Amino acid sequence: MPKVYVLKVPEFAGLIESARNKPGCTIRSVGESYLCIQSDRPIKFLRREMGIGPAVWYGAFTGGIEGRLVDFGREEVTLVDA
Amino acid sequence: MSTLANPKDSTPSAQTASILALEGVHHTARPTWKLAETVHFYRDVMGLKICHAITAKGWGPEDHPDFLHFFFESGNGSTIAFFYYLGSERPADSVTWDHWLYRSVHTAWRVLDRRTLMEWKERLESFGYKVMVVRHEILESIYVTDPNDYMIEISWQMRSLGRNDAVDATLTLEAAIDIEKETSRPVQVIDDIWRAKSRLVEQHAAAGADPDA
Repeated sequence: MPKVYVLKVPEFAGLIESARNKPGCTIRSVGESYLCIQSDRPIKFLRREMGIGPAVWYGAFTGGIEGRLVDFGREEVTLVDA
Repeated sequence: MSTLANPKDSTPSAQTASILALEGVHHTARPTWKLAETVHFYRDVMGLKICHAITAKGWGPEDHPDFLHFFFESGNGSTIAFFYYLGSERPADSVTWDHWLYRSVHTAWRVLDRRTLMEWKERLESFGYKVMVVRHEILESIYVTDPNDYMIEISWQMRSLGRNDAVDATLTLEAAIDIEKETSRPVQVIDDIWRAKSRLVEQHAAAGADPDA
């Protein structure tokens, strides 16, 4: 089950907002500093959907992941089970 | 030589971080082999005041004993400095000066807002310099290359840093160091750090404490 940990800071809020509308995704708090996006299927992230620029995109998963990133490009990536 | 700034504060309780605090950057220094071009760029293009210069005889090694060491003001008491080693030539390098090995070493100056940043961009472009703009996580920056091929960055910080930032940075570095200890080699791909960090984030949350506490 792929997971993305997202630090609670403004520049990464787009990950959370984009995940809210994705089927199979749930979001929970992890301590005071992080949220976790968890999905029962592969999660596809689109940079423009998250509303972030290229520099932030390249570090968008800095909070941590469970799973494997496939087809990581400038505009989209999919997180699948490891 | 005493390391105590204030002898009156020399009680054991005071011999901690308070007397070891730093007060910001005084100067960064790099060598130059382009004296006139460097002075032109920092004084005339950047508009920084020349504030100090040292002329030394016989202090350097035998093949270039004399040098100039000169400083430009860069705000809030900070300066940027250069060494001009007389009679020397830039040593041969195994990589060119536009290689990432050198371009990663840079000075970044702070301005207070985006309007000022864009005014700096316009100023540099008016002198014919190519300026790159990058919006990072907490910084929006412009970049320009000086006559020495040194990268110069000017940034405004879009938000203040808080506890979450410190927690996250600590866990990132801890994840990377853990991998290197476990594998006995430098970490190779960022995905490994991100996966290791997810475990640390869960542990951190379960412990309910700062990782560096």
